[in-house]
Parts: sequence; C-alpha cells; structure tokens
Amino acid sequence: MNSTYIATLELAAGAVLLSAIMTLWRRNVRSIVAMLSVQGMALAAVAIVLALHEHEHALLITGCLVFLVKGLVVPHLLRRVSLLDPRSRESRPLVNVPASLVFAAALIVLSYVVGTRITSLSPSSATHLAPLGLATVLVGYFMLVTRRRAVSKIVGLILVDNGIALVTFLLTSGVPLIVELGSSLDVLLVVVVLQFLMVSMRRHSDTDRLTEMKALHD
Amino acid sequence: MTLFLVALGLCAAAAVAGATFPRGSRVVVSSVLGSLGCLIAFSVALRILLTGDTVTFHTAQVLPMTGVSLTLDPLGAWFVLASSFVGVATCLYNVGYARGAMASRSALSLFMVFVLSLLVVPSASSIMTLMFAWELMALSSLLLILTDQARHPDARSAALWYGVMTQLGAASILLGLLVMTSNGSGQNFADLSAHSSTLSPVTRSFAFVLVLLGFASKAGAVPLHVWLPKAHPEAPSPVSALMSSSMVAMGIYGIIRVGEGLLHGGTVWWWIAVALLGVVSAFYGALHATTSTDLKRLLAYSTIDIIGLVLIGVGAAGALADSGQPVISRLAMSAALLLVVAHAAFKGALFLAAGAVERATATRNLDLLGGLIHTMPVTALVVALSAGAIMAVPTLSGFSSEWLLLQGLLHGFSVVSTPTVIVMLLGVIALALTGGLTAVAFVKAFGIGFLGQSRSSGAAQAHEVSKFMTLAMGWLVIPSVVIGVMPGLFVPLLDRAASSALGTSTVSPFTRGAGLEVAQLSGAIQPAAILIGLVAVMVIVWALNQALAQRRARRVDAWGCGRDWQTPRMQYTATSFAEPLQRVFADVLRPQSDVEVTHVAESRYYEQSLVYENRVADILEARGYRPIIAVALRVGQFARRLQNGSIHRYLAFGFVALLVILVVVG
Repeated sequence: MNSTYIATLELAAGAVLLSAIMTLWRRNVRSIVAMLSVQGMALAAVAIVLALHEHEHALLITGCLVFLVKGLVVPHLLRRVSLLDPRSRESRPLVNVPASLVFAAALIVLSYVVGTRITSLSPSSATHLAPLGLATVLVGYFMLVTRRRAVSKIVGLILVDNGIALVTFLLTSGVPLIVELGSSLDVLLVVVVLQFLMVSMRRHSDTDRLTEMKALHD
Repeated sequence: MTLFLVALGLCAAAAVAGATFPRGSRVVVSSVLGSLGCLIAFSVALRILLTGDTVTFHTAQVLPMTGVSLTLDPLGAWFVLASSFVGVATCLYNVGYARGAMASRSALSLFMVFVLSLLVVPSASSIMTLMFAWELMALSSLLLILTDQARHPDARSAALWYGVMTQLGAASILLGLLVMTSNGSGQNFADLSAHSSTLSPVTRSFAFVLVLLGFASKAGAVPLHVWLPKAHPEAPSPVSALMSSSMVAMGIYGIIRVGEGLLHGGTVWWWIAVALLGVVSAFYGALHATTSTDLKRLLAYSTIDIIGLVLIGVGAAGALADSGQPVISRLAMSAALLLVVAHAAFKGALFLAAGAVERATATRNLDLLGGLIHTMPVTALVVALSAGAIMAVPTLSGFSSEWLLLQGLLHGFSVVSTPTVIVMLLGVIALALTGGLTAVAFVKAFGIGFLGQSRSSGAAQAHEVSKFMTLAMGWLVIPSVVIGVMPGLFVPLLDRAASSALGTSTVSPFTRGAGLEVAQLSGAIQPAAILIGLVAVMVIVWALNQALAQRRARRVDAWGCGRDWQTPRMQYTATSFAEPLQRVFADVLRPQSDVEVTHVAESRYYEQSLVYENRVADILEARGYRPIIAVALRVGQFARRLQNGSIHRYLAFGFVALLVILVVVG
C-alpha cells in the first residue's frame, strides 16, 4: 500500500514538472495547451492521492476542483483562444528551444539545492517531492519571460500557479479550500480576460505578439 | 471636556452632513453645525483661559493601538480660541460663498474636516494623536486647494508644491518626536515632558532641529515658505482664510509646545535660531508683499511677514528664559501669542474680503481693480480696519501686540550675553523696517483696490456680496477693534497662556487695567485714551474747517491732482506704486521687466503700442529649490531608462530578482 502510494505520488508530481518542460519544448500553441491540460490533471492526481492516503475530505474536493478547472475548463478556453489564430506558433522565442531546455535543467538543479533545505525541516515521502513544485514555478516564470505570444505567457503564468499549488499540496497537504478556490478562479478569470484582450489586440494590430505592444508605453 | 468633545462631534457631524445631504440644504446644514461646533469650542477655550484649569480626555477607540489623547491647557486653549473664532466666520461665510465646486459634497465635508483638525491639533497630547490630526489638516487642506482646479489651473502646481513641502515637514516632525522617545518615555506628552531631561543634550538639540524644520515650514518661515504664496492664494477664500490665519499658527504652536513644553527650553542657540528665522521671514515677506499685484498673493506674503514677527517674539522669549530673565521672557511670549490671535482675526477678515472682491469683480489683480469703496462699502470698511490693524495703526490690534513685542525686545537688552542682544537688536530693526514695508503694501492694497476710479469693467460693475459673507467679515473685525482699544480685557487670558507656554510660575509682568501696563518694566499705553484723543483732534479739525473755510465747496475727482478730468489710466497702479521700493531693493527682489514697443510702419519715431510687463519671482525658489528639483528630475529620467515599455524586460526584472533571492538564501 505504502510503496504504491509513494510511487503514484512520485509519478504524478514528476508528470507536473515534465509537462512544464514539455511546454518549453513544443512550439505549436495547441500542443502547449494540451501539455497544460496534462499538467492540470497530474496536479489533481497529486491532490487526490494525498487526500486518499491521509483521509482528508477537503483535499479530495480540492483535487476534484483542480481537475475540473485546471485540467479541463482552462485548457478548453485557451484552446478556443488559440483557434482564433490559425498560424498559432511560438515562432521566435527570446531564448531558443535548446537553450531554454538547458536553462530549465539549471533551474531544476537550483530548486533542488534550495528545496532540500525546506524539505529537511519535516522529512516525509511527500515533502521530498517539494523541489519539483519549486522547479515548476521557476520553469513557468522562465516561460513567462522568454515567450512572445500572449497565449504562451498566460500558460507560463498558469505554470507558476500550478507549481505553487504543488508545493502547498506536498508540504502542508494543501491550503484551505477557500484559498485554493480563490487562486483557481483567478486563473480562470485571467484566461477569460485574455480572450477579450486577444480579440481586440488582433483587431488593432493583427498580432498577439506582445513585443509589438512596446509603442504603447506612456 | 465633555463640551469640547461635543464641539468636535458637531464638526464631524457637519462633515458627514456635507457629504450626505442633498444639494439644496447641505451647505446650510453643514455650515450651521460647523459654526455651532466652533462656537462651543470657543466657549470651552475661553473658560479654560479664565480659570486656568487643564482638562484631559483619553479613549482607546478611534486610533488603533494607541487611542486618542486630548489635553486642553491654557496654551492649547489660546490656539483653539483663535482657530474656533476664525472657524465660525468661515462657516458663516461659506453659506454665502459656496457655489459650484465649493458646494460639492467632497469640498464641504473636507472643509469641515479641516476645521475639525484645526481644533484637534492644539489639544492633542500624544504623538499619535498630534500626527494624525496634523496629517488630517495637511491632507484636507491639500485637497481643498484642488477644489476648483478646473477654473484655476495654477492650483495644480500649487498643490504639488504644498503636498511635497507639507509631507517632508510632517516626516521631519515625526522623526524629531520619535528621537525624543529614544529614552523609552512613551508617546504621551506628559511622559515625554517628565523624562526629556534624561536625553543627552545632543539628542535633544537634534530632536528640536528636526521638529523646528517641520513646524517652521508649516508656519511659512523663510526659506521653507515657497509653498505658501502659491497654495494660500489658489485655495477657495474660506480655505485661504483658515490656512493663513489658523494653520500657520499651528506651526507656531508646535514650536512652543515642543521647545518649551516638552524639552523645557533647551539651550539659548535654539531660540536664537528661531528668532533669526523670524527676522529673515519678516523682512522677506514684507518686501514681497509690497511688490505683489495679486491681492491674495500680497496677503499670503504678509502672512510670512507677521509670522516672522511672531517667531521673533517666540525666539526672544526662549532666549530670555534661558538667560535667566523669566519676567521679560513672559512678556515677549505674551506679545507673540497676542500677535497670533490678532493676526488670525485680521488676516482671516482680509482673505474673506479678498474672496468677496474676487466674487464681485472676477479678478484679484489689483491693477484691474479700483473704486470698490463706492460699490462694496462694507467690504471696504472691513479691509480698511483690518489693514489698519496689520499696519499697527494705534487703537487697532496690531498696534497693541507689536507694542508689547517691542517692549519685550527693548527690555531684553539688559541680558549680558552678546548673541542674544544682537538678536534682540535685529528683531527691533526688523520690526521697524517691516512696519514701514507693511504700511506700503496695505496702503497699496486699499488705495489701488478700493479708492480712485475702477480700472476694469469687472470692478465698475461690482456689487456688495451677500449678507452672510459681510456678517462673517464683520465678525472677524471685532477682535481687531476690541484688542486694539481695550487690550486690558485680554491681559489675564494672555498672561495665563504665556505662563502655561513657558511652564514657569514667575511674577506676571502685567498690571490689570483697561490698557496695557507692564508693571515691573515701567511701560504703559492706554489705547482707549489714544482713541479719545484722536477723535477729539478730528472733531476739532472738522470744527475749525467748518468755521474758517469758505462756504462754497468745489468737487473734483479723488486723486485727480486738481485736473478737471482724468481717466483710470492716469492713476497709480499697484505696480507703479511699488516701483520705487522695487528699485531700492532690486538686489533682493531681482525684478524682471519687459518693455515691448511696436512702431507704426511709416516711422520709427511713432509707436503703435507699448506693452510693459513686470515680474518679481521668488528668488529663493529660483536659486534654492529649482536646482534641487532639477537634480531630482534628472534622477527620475535616469530611472525611466529601466522602463522602456518591453513587457519581457519587466517580467525579467522579477524573475532575476527571484533567482538572486533563491541563490542568496539557499
């Protein structure tokens, strides 16, 4: 029982980070969104496995909510946004893909170096995985900085959010339901706002590459 | 104390009423509540000054953690007396004045908050209460300057200057007060006062200098005055009146309360510095007042002048107390305090009158006014009496207070220490010189503005303002006359306030009577007798004139120099009246004049038009403040290079910062 639990938890948490790295690797916006969906489901899996192991009903509800919002609804909305533009490729990121992957590796090393100090505070099979969450946050932030398209940036933001959620799940068995609910709804709202923004941006300048927005500064 | 709380409550209720009542009734309701509150506060202050009691109040509510502590001792009551008296007048005035932006919900409620804060500042007895009321006063007045910014675009830059100066000042005061708590004495004034002797002399001096900088900038002492001639004129007139009469007095109050009350007088050089600030302010303010052509700007500069005289009095009192001359010190402090109240009344009246003139003629440029005595007789009388008071005409309030100040300074020469005597001497010189300059300024203000012929259609078509406004102005003339004619009535109150200010119980320098008698120093004046003498002389001259002069009167234009006809263009203007003085003091004032001549096409010897322009900029602003602002702007421009509009760059800042923190911590 215990070894199955640990193996599933490791698998799910690892999937979260792996999907984050996959988003860096892929250029097609639609496959990036698909990766995000996978990540949301993996995150939900982490929450549900933890909840079943520790018999916490609130966490179980959170896990189901995460599955719904981050695994299904948000990716669905993003897919609709990306359909607005048939040529939806992250054509020239500020840092190219191989370099991004090398950088991501460095970020993972960094988060293990920093994260072990946190996990040593209360070592358990769950907390050992916390650096994975930290790495997801950093990879997400990296994506936010280096990708040009608005959709990719939003994906980066959601990666950061998912990474934070993973860390909270692993370290403290999740934050109170209301907080998790709040942050998930935030992400949802950001995506909805983005949808409107994209439509008006395209009408205005025929692109959603944020580099073009430079002329707007004061 | 309950009654004082009721007064504060009424002012707060007036603020709420101003914010909630419908358009038709809110001005009247909030003004009535506000003036009632001020009247009650006035009566409380008067009772405290009559009995010499001290009342205190503390509640743990309102401000989190520290609560509110209020104490009214005779010194605080003296300042409450001044601000509540002006408060009544401005509330009344507002009934007639408030219109457009000034009648809006925000303006009315902010106005009442401003009045309320002016009552709380002198009664606050803990650091938190004082700073809270202080900030309330600064912020409400700052927003009130901006009330009518749509019609007065200059108000924006004035508000910016004021905002920066007042916030720097407040920070300085707060820092100074915090330095005083460094011995762990807590934040109540009573504890601070009891334990301030355990502070080292350096710490005490450091605290006093910080506090002095903050309070002096609020009082408008040169060189921290630059905001004042911008902010006071741009505010709506009732607000200008409160700012120029009561708010500057709060700066004086702060200096006395901290320097004498909490730090027990400190060392002589503190007070020499205060007096020197006063000398410079008096001279600089008076000089600029003579050359200003904007009526409200002239009044604002004359505020700097009078505040300078008050600072001379406060500085002399402090220096004399530290040199072992308690009686003369108390005399000088009495003079300063009397001048504060006299100034509050006459400057309040003058600003309200300036507002009436602006309302009636749509301008406050003296070069466009004239002849208002015919169309606005009541306002003209108010200005005449108040200007007489500010010029220290005998039998008006300015004379009584400046006479007292002169007595204090002259008797101060008996002190042995040379620096103190030099400061006293400078004070006497400043008093004499500014007396003359102030006379020029206000002869100009009244003569050009109210006498002669009108110089513009606005001035020609002016009409007297509403009853409420004239009533309010009349209310503020009362002290000028009463203090002037019967100063003896105020001596017991004044004496109590002065002794509470200095915290000593020496023999009173006064003898009781209708006039001013300085018993121990053998000086006395009887203004009532002077008045009777003056009236008698006038009657005799009039009677002689009636008896001896030829019967047939010949009527010609006033200031017509005997000419049969004259046009308004032939009269003196405010600019030309002050021109000789401007030449004399050209090194200080640095006036700039432009003459632009356009010739007719045919000949260079005939001119088509001639434009003369004369500007007097504030030299301290141009030489002292502009370079600092230029440096700040350059730093700001440099910082802007970081901000180039690239969202990637902004995000990268955050990412790099996060990585750096992780590496450093991890």
